Amino acid sequence: MEKSNRLFVFIGALVLIGLIFITRLFFLQIIDTSNYYKAQAYGSNEITIYPARGTIVDRNGQLMVYNDASYDLMVVPQKAKDFDKVALCKELIIDTTEFNKRLKKAARYNPREASVIYKNLPFYLYTRLQEVLYQYPAFYIETKIDRRYNINGAAHLLGYMGEVSERELEKDKYYKPGDVKGITGLEKSYEKYLRGIKGKKVVLVDKFSKQQGSFAGGKFDSLPTAGENIISSIDLNLQIYAEMLLANKIGSIVAIEPATGEVLCIVNNPNYDPNLLVGQQRNRNFSALLLDPSKPLFNRALKAPYPPGSTFKTVQALIGLQEGVLTPGTRYPCHGGYRMGSITVGCHSHASPLDLENSITKSCNAYYCHVYRSILDNPKYSSVQAAYLQWTKYLNSFGIGTKTGIDLPEESSGIVKKSAYFERVFGKNWRSSNVVSISIGQGEIGLTPLQMANVAAIIANRGYYYTPHVVRSIGDAQYVREEFLKRHYTLIEERHFDSVIAGMAKVCKPGGTAGRTGIEGIDICGKTGTAQNPHGKDHSIFIAFAPRVNPKIAICVIVENGGFGADYAAPIANLLIERYMATDKTAPSSKPEMQKRMLTANLTGKKLSASDSLKALVTKTIK
Amino acid sequence: MDEKLHIDWLTVSLYIIIVLFGAVNIYSANSGVNEAISLDFSKEYGKQVIWIGISAIIVFLILLTDYKFFNFSAYGIYIIIIGMLLALLATGSFNKGAQAWFKIGAFKLQPSEFAKYATALALAKFLGTFDVKFEGRRNQLISFGILLLPMMLTLLQNDTGSALVFTCFILVLFREGLSGWWLVLGFYLITIFVLTIIIPSWYILLALLLILAGFIYFIYKQKQLMMVSILIFIVSAVYIIGLDFAFSKILKPHQQQRILVTLNQDVDEYYANKQKSFSFFKFEKKENDKKSESKRDYSYNVRQSKISIGAGRWWGNGFNNGTQTKAKLVPEQHTDFIFCTVGEEYGFVGSSIFLILYLLFIGRIFYLAERQKNVFSRVFGYCTGSIIFFHFFINIGMAIGVLPVIGIPLPFMSYGGSSLISFSMLLFTFLKLDANRVNEISRLY
Repeated sequence: MEKSNRLFVFIGALVLIGLIFITRLFFLQIIDTSNYYKAQAYGSNEITIYPARGTIVDRNGQLMVYNDASYDLMVVPQKAKDFDKVALCKELIIDTTEFNKRLKKAARYNPREASVIYKNLPFYLYTRLQEVLYQYPAFYIETKIDRRYNINGAAHLLGYMGEVSERELEKDKYYKPGDVKGITGLEKSYEKYLRGIKGKKVVLVDKFSKQQGSFAGGKFDSLPTAGENIISSIDLNLQIYAEMLLANKIGSIVAIEPATGEVLCIVNNPNYDPNLLVGQQRNRNFSALLLDPSKPLFNRALKAPYPPGSTFKTVQALIGLQEGVLTPGTRYPCHGGYRMGSITVGCHSHASPLDLENSITKSCNAYYCHVYRSILDNPKYSSVQAAYLQWTKYLNSFGIGTKTGIDLPEESSGIVKKSAYFERVFGKNWRSSNVVSISIGQGEIGLTPLQMANVAAIIANRGYYYTPHVVRSIGDAQYVREEFLKRHYTLIEERHFDSVIAGMAKVCKPGGTAGRTGIEGIDICGKTGTAQNPHGKDHSIFIAFAPRVNPKIAICVIVENGGFGADYAAPIANLLIERYMATDKTAPSSKPEMQKRMLTANLTGKKLSASDSLKALVTKTIK
Repeated sequence: MDEKLHIDWLTVSLYIIIVLFGAVNIYSANSGVNEAISLDFSKEYGKQVIWIGISAIIVFLILLTDYKFFNFSAYGIYIIIIGMLLALLATGSFNKGAQAWFKIGAFKLQPSEFAKYATALALAKFLGTFDVKFEGRRNQLISFGILLLPMMLTLLQNDTGSALVFTCFILVLFREGLSGWWLVLGFYLITIFVLTIIIPSWYILLALLLILAGFIYFIYKQKQLMMVSILIFIVSAVYIIGLDFAFSKILKPHQQQRILVTLNQDVDEYYANKQKSFSFFKFEKKENDKKSESKRDYSYNVRQSKISIGAGRWWGNGFNNGTQTKAKLVPEQHTDFIFCTVGEEYGFVGSSIFLILYLLFIGRIFYLAERQKNVFSRVFGYCTGSIIFFHFFINIGMAIGVLPVIGIPLPFMSYGGSSLISFSMLLFTFLKLDANRVNEISRLY
């Protein structure tokens, strides 16, 4: 080969190597995408910026739930060398052996990554550390946002937060492992509104996962959108007052504004401080609450089906009137009870016979045995079973035996048995006499306190109700959920309510079953109930609404083992009505003795956990 | 001087483009995340700007120098550099395991970078001497001697990468008449080397024996050819067994692993197979965790480099936006792995254009070298082209994971004063010689 032609060997080699390199690049950069994805996983880290969770205020704008910062002191153990340990311990008010122990633990966990060395710094330590921390480059303060509850009760209403479970992680891509969400109460049912939209920040990280700064000048970053603030329909003052009145008693209170279906207060006792389930003590407190024999986690207002007792007579009367088996003028005799063969339903002594109005006022048992039997034995229907079916339809239209649809989780539909149940128990052709106890709200019937309060609201509205709800509006736009604007009519015509309401109006007046509990100047229409139960003394029950014209509040109070309806439930309900109706909320009660008796009564035989915290409020709110 | 400067402006333009593009990439690899674009002379990209300035001054001085100076002082420069390399061996300060630096104030001077320049000058001078013909055995030995001396000295400094660069002078010798068989032989030896390491050596011996048997079957009448092929087989067999021995028994585990990683071998698996299958030389049992540790170290650079380049996809992330680059995930990215930045920030399209431009640049140097009328200029030109070509080949090949990790810079791109200055000196000395050729021609007419 001519030597000068060897240039072409060189040029050929250049072309060949160029082709090899470009082919290799094509493989690396275009065909093999794994490098690209590895690069995304390695070099940059997507950091989630959590939005501020929405706050919750009550109907008067008082803050109920908000967010508060807490501060943890963090340490990167690898860097924690050559610093004045004694000085830092002095700042932290902690002894050096404890400090060394925590530092060693952090180093054992991961020497390169930051670990908590002092959880939940008190605020005074936080401010002081801010000034000296520059001397300790291995340490920094991490700010965490925690939920805070402005009331040390109402736990079942507000709910609590908890870590998202693995199943939920799969279901809802919004959540990442370690995220928290509402587990119960409002926090759960309005989670989608409260949580907001997460923001993200793409940061570069080096080989030690240390952040280097934001990527591409923040081109891929997005700001979080804060969660919607929620206006609750709860009246915080009423709620607190109700909790105080129910302190040291087991039971439940639900109050509804009949004209809107807005829940004014929803109280359970035993109760607990929702702040217990926030922060580092959460797990310990949760297991303590779970194991507490008084079941403070149990949401009685929504889940406990109580026998409604005599309060159920209002419903029976309305159904009887609608069915045409009863007129306001119908009179039934009562001689200390109702007897039919071997069955006896006892009654207290009162004038006899009574008409419908007075049967409510005096709560005559015999009257309603007649009424219920006439409903079931109505010749209009082919059989008792058919009549019973029609009767359950009436109940369902009252929201009994079905869920009311309240915007809180875990609602129970109460107990309304199907005809088939009685067929199993009493045989195929069971008779009205088999179920006569239901006529006075005993036996195979169970209503949750919420359902009873809703019944009161229905009577107040004369025939319809709005789905009870605890949230008035959502967000700054004050969005109101459409389902809460819809009237649900019962199967009872409006005209039938007159005599029932007339009877209820006299209950809290002298001569009525709760004659001594009435409030001067307020037309309270109520109905007492005294429910026998297998757990001891009768439950004291009272449903009411007020005022009679243009009602503002419908209420149900249940005090377990409280005796007669007039003993505890009626006074508590009437005190609450008085407080709610008062223009001056700080005005003293017109019945101070009754108030004092209710506040101090202890039916549990021991102190309940919530009572201590509520004591402080008693002195604050009640003068 | 009334002569016009007939310098090859195409080469100069490509040079400027590559140097500036290099500085841009060094900035990207070196500056902090979200740092405002500025010139900080305390950082590497700032220093590179200084180096570019110094290079410009040196280039200017070279262009002012009379072309005869290079021919005249070639041996002198060569001897000075050899002396410096010797002095380094005696007093050199440690740097990354290689005794390769002279510390001058804040800066470090790396004589091995300049040794290539001096060797090129000396080789050109020798082959350009009036009565020297490369065909003579004695002259060939002297030529090899000229390049072997600095190569050995560099090797003694533990700077394997720079020492390997001296093998590129073989290419120059090939142009000057060295038989092409030597290149074939080199290729053969390298192929056998790779095969010996990745598959059991007795497989290769068996295969060679079969080839030999087949060959002899066809040529058994030609005694001489038969003897030659048997001799080749015996030499090959010795070479293979010797390699196997050297690899298994002489090389230290980390050296073995470096080679294995380059050859895309899973180190743990490799050792496991070696233990199981028959081989001439058994490996000693090694502690497991130590092995994995080393494995990670040696494969780390290449893996990060590949991820970084792969992240670029078609168009790249754009200037200063490479996630891997900015996160400083590739070690030595502003020096030996500067191509990762190109790959990540300019993608397949940008990298390909860059490679093509660079190859055009090298090709242009070879083309210019070939058109020289005197042997000194031609040999020096081929030296220039070969050195740059070799660096380019090894450096890019290493970054994209087709060649072993040999730490040598990409000329005009990688950060480093010694490298930039020595390559600029090399290039512009040649361009000065080339400009003079044009002057010579113009004087003829």
